[in-house]
Amino acid sequence: MSSEKASALVLRTIDFSETSLVVWLFTREFGKISALAKGARRLKNPFESALDVLTLCRIVFLHKSSEALDLVTEAKLLRRFRPTRQNLAGLYAGYYVAELLGDLTDENDPHPELFDLADETLAALAAGEVVPRRLARFELIALRFLGHAPALDQCAECGMKIDLTGRIAFGGIHGGALCRGCRQGKSSVVSVSAGVLRTMAQLADLETQAWRRIEIDAQILGELRKQEAKNNREILPQRLG
Amino acid sequence: MSEVTRSVTELINEFAKMPGVGKKSAERLAYYVLRLNRTEALVLADAIRNVKENVRYCRNCYNLAEQEECEICRDPNRNREVICVVEQPRDLMALEQAGTYHGLYHVLLGRIAPLEGMGPEQLTIDTLVNRVRSGTVREIVMATNPTVEGDGTSLYISNVLSDCAVRVTRLARGITTGSMLEFANKEVLADALSGRQAF
Repeated sequence: MSSEKASALVLRTIDFSETSLVVWLFTREFGKISALAKGARRLKNPFESALDVLTLCRIVFLHKSSEALDLVTEAKLLRRFRPTRQNLAGLYAGYYVAELLGDLTDENDPHPELFDLADETLAALAAGEVVPRRLARFELIALRFLGHAPALDQCAECGMKIDLTGRIAFGGIHGGALCRGCRQGKSSVVSVSAGVLRTMAQLADLETQAWRRIEIDAQILGELRKQEAKNNREILPQRLG
Repeated sequence: MSEVTRSVTELINEFAKMPGVGKKSAERLAYYVLRLNRTEALVLADAIRNVKENVRYCRNCYNLAEQEECEICRDPNRNREVICVVEQPRDLMALEQAGTYHGLYHVLLGRIAPLEGMGPEQLTIDTLVNRVRSGTVREIVMATNPTVEGDGTSLYISNVLSDCAVRVTRLARGITTGSMLEFANKEVLADALSGRQAF
């Protein structure tokens, strides 16, 4: 049992006893961990209210080698998630980020780049950035970091370049866009507009800042949300087994 | 390992189910009950039975009550223009012990916590909105816990009440009285500065 330090985002907390909490943390160095925080519910505790949902903190914890819960011994608050006043959409988007991090990642499987992305996303949501654009970008890049990025401009099966006009076959569980030939006989394939795939490609771009200038119209946004929700529904059951 | 007796073992097991009570403490409590005389032990048993048979939620505010309405709702000296919204009855008790609030309460029986599957429909928000719309309420004091989920619940309720002619306020937060500025964390100091008041 070794003492470790890590930067962590608090994904969820559950009351364990009168004074203690079980916390699920997404750490930069160790991936997702679940740990016991003894005394965290006391008024005077060593955690300085750092173990609240969506808080960014620096923790010291005892890493158990067995299946048992780790033990958080210290937590220093770095930033609370505090959406600007009246920003309920930003708050719920923050919850959604935590839920995705919890569902898409495994315990003790670190993804520092995903941690940085989540940290940046939560900071932007708290600052009042436009929620749908920021959230869609988070989902797409998170999927890329975790190896689930959908193919957007070439067929996921045969690799053929896809002409981004009209409507295009798309299957999340098949890896993304499909050409006419590869679409045949496949289930769970939907038809999406080329505009949605173009928007997804722009939002997932890590090279430039062009995504910040994208104006997503309501129709494309609706289709995009529907498609991403479907994508997540298809990926998560595979992960959860 | 042989049991003490079946009844004593049952009692120990029941005590061990209580929060914060382990096997050893449960044994201590059980032996305490064994040492009580019959009358004292039955008073304890009756107290437990009475709580389960007589205590219910107040029909107005969801505080604990033994009649249709709780004592606070029945008290004619209470200010009926102010409602303080709390998450649980124990939060209400803590505020009552402060002794400085003389209005009414509303207990939500939880907080909005989507990550735990707790939505607004599972709380008593509808009843609160009806109280505000049908009564003479002028102010709602949001006294949910100062956590992300507590703040979120307050924000949701203030949005729901935005079309009502009622002032929605939030409990102040910041530096604890008697503490030292140099040891306060930056979030607490930021709260204290943003919530500063004129003398």
